[in-house]
Amino acid sequence: MEIVTNDHIKCNQALVGLYDVYDPEIGLNVVDLGLIYGINFNEERKEIEAVMTLTTQFCPMGESITNDVKQSVGTAFKDYKVNITLTFEPSWSPDFLTPEGEAFLNG
Amino acid sequence: MFAGSATGLQKTTSHKVVLPFYVFAAISFLLGCVLLLLNTGIVHQHYFQPQTLAITHLMALGWGTMIILGANHQLLPVLIEGKLDSDLLACLSFVFAAIGIPMLVTGFYLFNTGLLLQCGAVLVNLSVACYFINVFTSIIESKRYDVHAWFIATAALWLFATVFFGLLLVFNFSRPLLPDNSVEYLSLHAHMGIAGWFLLLIIGVGSRLIPMFLISKYTSTTMLWWIYALINAGLAGFILLKTLKVFSQYYYTPFLLVLIALIIFGNYCYKAFKVRIRKQLDEQMKISLLSVALLVLPLACLLLVIYFISGEEKSNIVLLYGFCIFFGWITAIILGMTFKTLPFIVWNKVYSARAGGKTPAPKELFSERLFKLMALLYLSGFVLFAAGIAILGNMLLKSGAVCLLASAMLYVWNVFKTLFHEPVK
Repeated sequence: MEIVTNDHIKCNQALVGLYDVYDPEIGLNVVDLGLIYGINFNEERKEIEAVMTLTTQFCPMGESITNDVKQSVGTAFKDYKVNITLTFEPSWSPDFLTPEGEAFLNG
Repeated sequence: MFAGSATGLQKTTSHKVVLPFYVFAAISFLLGCVLLLLNTGIVHQHYFQPQTLAITHLMALGWGTMIILGANHQLLPVLIEGKLDSDLLACLSFVFAAIGIPMLVTGFYLFNTGLLLQCGAVLVNLSVACYFINVFTSIIESKRYDVHAWFIATAALWLFATVFFGLLLVFNFSRPLLPDNSVEYLSLHAHMGIAGWFLLLIIGVGSRLIPMFLISKYTSTTMLWWIYALINAGLAGFILLKTLKVFSQYYYTPFLLVLIALIIFGNYCYKAFKVRIRKQLDEQMKISLLSVALLVLPLACLLLVIYFISGEEKSNIVLLYGFCIFFGWITAIILGMTFKTLPFIVWNKVYSARAGGKTPAPKELFSERLFKLMALLYLSGFVLFAAGIAILGNMLLKSGAVCLLASAMLYVWNVFKTLFHEPVK
């Protein structure tokens, strides 16, 4: 699933750290798992909104994963306030896995 | 500094509600295996006798039901996509069961059909009533009435019917409430629990969790509705035939309905397995999937009881049937699923608020080596004991019971290792 953003360069900077944030059950990072839907930058308010999902709405690991995403983006952009918005529209499906993610799970 | 709730994050059930069920179940399993070892002689007697009743109820309620109740309080929000309605009811459900089950089991073991057994049965009913109300209100609150919600709600209803009927049977020992002796109703009570509670719930939950853990795109709501209808029709048909006291040869109809349901479920699991994205299966999933295959054994026993065997041998096969269900199918799925759920609950308790930094994977909270050894001992014990019942071989029974006890000890060790996990600095 393609990540929606208003600043591709900064988005790629944020993704570098997010490749180290893992879903503890699956053991795959949140980017290749397809959990990140969008990262938007508000330069005026110095805010970042990360729009993401979980593999299931009441995922027991939800709090841990969202905290890790928030910390990772916050570390990459120290002057910004990071907000995480969870959405289940659309709900996650294995179709959202990147080819790297699929290869990892196939291995 | 970064921790804080995200917009839209749903709270899951507190670990404080869930973990006591796991502890109680683990101790019950260990105790059940100790009693089995001390009472291997029961296979030479009729199945309606104190030790058999005690072990069966310890395994069905203390082990199977308690761990399913615990896991269900955690998994219900995932399945119905809504939160558990009441933590208080969940706690009350545990307290009533934790007092009631030991009383009930001791009452059976000593065959004290008076106050001890009666109080135990009343408390178990109160526990199930709390669970039943909690499940129904949670589903109504969530406003999601899909096939999984129907499986869970109907299973809760059958559980309530089973324990209530059990309560009547207990009181029927001391004063006649029912037209016949309690022994006559035993198969009815047992099958309401086995097919109505365990089978419906395990299929309802399994049909959601198996594709989820395998990361499989496969789903078939139509297939699940058929399974749901066939099992309920089979069970209702059996109750009707039993109530009308129809000749036992006619029991093939409900048997066939449940058999078709199980074949469809087997097909569902196979299809989910075939299109899975996650190719490597962990040991926990292997033993859980094996439990689906283990269902063939009790079905074969049932077929023998209905058609081919009568007299003294029948009692023996009935025992084998019960053993294959409680120590086979149900135990196998619990052994696997415990270590698919418990490490995550504990991991969440210890690490969820910690953002970033080095944390172990949930599967590192228990010993995988001990898990493999436990699985090996369990399978050996199950095969040896089942063979011992079939040919009435004492050596087989003793060695099977020893293996099962050893596997229960390893299970308890691993459960406590997970529960007392210290956070990595």
